[in-house]
Amino acid sequence: MPTHEIGLHVENLCVSYAGVPAVRGVNLEVKAGQAIGLIGPNGAGKSSTLLGIMGATARTGTVRVNGRDVSGLPPEKVVRQGVAIVPEGRHIFAELTVLENLKLGLVGRRKKTGITEAFAEVFRLFPILEEFQGRKAGLLSGGQQQQLAIGRSLMANPDIILLDEPSLGLSPTAVDTVFEALDVVRKSGKAVLIVEQRAEFTIAFSDKTFVLHDGLITLTLGPSDANNVDVLTEAYFG
Amino acid sequence: MNQFIQSLVDAISGGAILGLAALSIGLVFGVIRLANFAQGEIITASAYTLIFTWQFGWFISIPLSIVVAVALSLLMEFAVFSRMRTATPATLLIASFGLSFLLQRVYEMLFTNTVQTAPVASGLAQSIDVGGVRIQMLSVITILLAGALLYGLTLFLSKSSLGLQLQAAAADFQTARLIGISASRVIGLSFALSGVLAATVAFVSTVQTGAVGPTFGVPIVILALVGAVIGGLDKLSGALAGGFLVGFVTSMLASWLPQDFSNFRDAYVFGLVILVLLFRPSGLLIKGRGVART
Amino acid sequence: MSEILTKAKVSLRWRLGPLWSLVSLLLIVYLITLANSFLGDSIQVQVQFALVNLVIVVALQMFIGTSGVLSFGHIAFVAVGAWTVGLLTIEPDLKRSLLSDMFPFLFDVQAPWLLAVFIGGLVGGLLALIVSPFLMRLNGLQAGIATFALLGVVTQVLTFWSSIGPRSGQSMVGIPDVLNLQTTMFFALGAIVFAWLFQRTRPARLLRAAREDGIAAPASGINVVSQRIIAFTLSGIVAGVAGGLFALTNRALQAQQLGIELTFITLAMLVLGGMLSLSGAVIGALVFSMIDVGLVQLQSGVDIGSFVISIPQGVRPIILGLILVGFLIFRPSGLSGGREIVWPFRPQRTALPGVPPKNE
Repeated sequence: MPTHEIGLHVENLCVSYAGVPAVRGVNLEVKAGQAIGLIGPNGAGKSSTLLGIMGATARTGTVRVNGRDVSGLPPEKVVRQGVAIVPEGRHIFAELTVLENLKLGLVGRRKKTGITEAFAEVFRLFPILEEFQGRKAGLLSGGQQQQLAIGRSLMANPDIILLDEPSLGLSPTAVDTVFEALDVVRKSGKAVLIVEQRAEFTIAFSDKTFVLHDGLITLTLGPSDANNVDVLTEAYFG
Repeated sequence: MNQFIQSLVDAISGGAILGLAALSIGLVFGVIRLANFAQGEIITASAYTLIFTWQFGWFISIPLSIVVAVALSLLMEFAVFSRMRTATPATLLIASFGLSFLLQRVYEMLFTNTVQTAPVASGLAQSIDVGGVRIQMLSVITILLAGALLYGLTLFLSKSSLGLQLQAAAADFQTARLIGISASRVIGLSFALSGVLAATVAFVSTVQTGAVGPTFGVPIVILALVGAVIGGLDKLSGALAGGFLVGFVTSMLASWLPQDFSNFRDAYVFGLVILVLLFRPSGLLIKGRGVART
Repeated sequence: MSEILTKAKVSLRWRLGPLWSLVSLLLIVYLITLANSFLGDSIQVQVQFALVNLVIVVALQMFIGTSGVLSFGHIAFVAVGAWTVGLLTIEPDLKRSLLSDMFPFLFDVQAPWLLAVFIGGLVGGLLALIVSPFLMRLNGLQAGIATFALLGVVTQVLTFWSSIGPRSGQSMVGIPDVLNLQTTMFFALGAIVFAWLFQRTRPARLLRAAREDGIAAPASGINVVSQRIIAFTLSGIVAGVAGGLFALTNRALQAQQLGIELTFITLAMLVLGGMLSLSGAVIGALVFSMIDVGLVQLQSGVDIGSFVISIPQGVRPIILGLILVGFLIFRPSGLSGGREIVWPFRPQRTALPGVPPKNE
């Protein structure tokens, strides 16, 4: 498969809950080595977009992963096409140990080889996980849990990672740790799609940022727009 | 004193049976929020199998009774519950209630209303003398069997990949699917394991009574369900402990209450349930009063 | 001008709509009873039982349908209502000889049957009122289990406590033969009117709102628990009356008859019709009973020309069970789809007047 096809391609994605539309025709593309931000006010449909891509809600439109159409697939099959998600609120398995959480990430792996390397890679990225591997995940701090959630998604060796508000409820230093790691992930050639509330931060970090409003992308921003107050105000209140 | 030890052993074994039965309900509930009333009919089917095939030898009869329990459990999931994935736990409970009624009538038609009897493992239904205390051999066997099964199950759940997946799905089904855990696989697994536990309960109860009728499993499952709910269906350990508690208390009440009162022992247990649900709606062993996940 | 006229028409229909649904339900029950009263005696008895079940289902709907909370416990109210009527209507001498273990004061307590039925209703309602502070705070599965436990307690007490009834294994017999099909029908019509009126009250409306949106309603200051207590108690009264009717129809009582099986049958009727509407409850009870009567006839054999069609004993309850499970799988909203019967001669409203479509 040619390299330029690695990535996520979403066309006219619509998601609705009990007839009420949440996402009304989103188009976006994330290429390998790219980080794309998705920002917008509460209820704009950011999380629904991610869940729609995963096939975890009823949706219409086309989602292509590495050039392959995954639109009709349930989440567990979408994962096996090379997409991993870090859900909002982390959703690590609190009763299980750190190591067991990471092992569960292996379930979505396409190839069953290279597992030792996968652990090594995650532990290099987040040394704290190696240190606490025998501890119950529920006992970790919020920042550590977020690292675990990202680590778990990496265990599936995905080409594309979707993150739903990775900075939610974290201390500033924890946010830095998380985004430094995400930068490493991006540079390793994966495609990264980040849904965030923190607009400035996301715009500065991402190669491109879309503003979502009422289920539609209304604006596209580059890293240089991060400090442009007018643009941001427009994005949130316009 | 001797009598107390006897009744204590019996109560532990009674608790072990209901603990296993409650666990078999909790395993399925954790994954698809179904509190399966019809678990009783799986127990009945397995017990009938023992009765009808015991004459061919235990090495045929016991495996067959497990196969029947697992098969019926999976059939229920496939034919009924897999088609109700969006239903609320209350609707699922009504459906399983209906299924339970339906299967009882099927048994009634196939095997008539009179009980079927066979001396299933009658050798176990003796008492042994341990230092002057007469103890039911079956009670000891039950306790050992339950212990071994629990050990095996714990090992499976914590060491194998499939077991971890099942635990993950029980804790958070949506996230489990999002990280690639196959819904149909873990659901099938939970029904199968639940069938194995039901077969064990069926074996012990059949040895105890030697007679099986269409509603054989009903009293077991009602008390197990009650135990699972008061222990807390959200956690396997909660369901297990709740089932054990109910079995233990019922057995103790039966041994020690005078006849006039012991007729009402289920009424006491049910009254206890209402009280527990009132003060701890998510179960005795789940921390906090929190709103139950329903 | 035309706008005003349309508005007036709409509001008239808005008022008449529910009234029409009540009238049509009453008519349906009346006509079906009338038609059956020309048939043989055995069918008449079955129709009378069907009407008793209808009253139970109406009681179930008043609570389950309105509040959205599951109850397996209503048959407990039916049971105490039946017990009350049995104790009040059996001749004192008969009680003394057959129910000798009873509290002595119960031997001489008597009431005319009509009064007894109403007292039965009150006792059912009282029991519901007493247990409701415990039960009404629970939801979903917990409510189901707790109400089931209530049924378990009541069944056991009635089975074993010979101070208020027969010894275990025996029946309470000697209940007078006073209730005919027509009177039963009037009770059924009365229950429907009662439930219909209840649906229009403030507690019922609040409960429906809370049912639709489990979180928003308590947040907006509605005290769901106290509204539920009202609904539970009123439906307990109706269930108690139904129990009285059961006693007078069956004329012999055993606690086991008023247990899990009757719970199953009546819940199945409610599910079949659709639990969210009164029309569903009534239609479900009638359709289910008709199927049941048909199956009973088939069991004893039906002549079609030179053939005799019959089904083996035991198939009937299996078919009834299949109906319940099948409806839960394929049409969980029941025959009525949760709607009331609407005026058939005009196009149906697509949206309620004055209510803008929901917007997120």
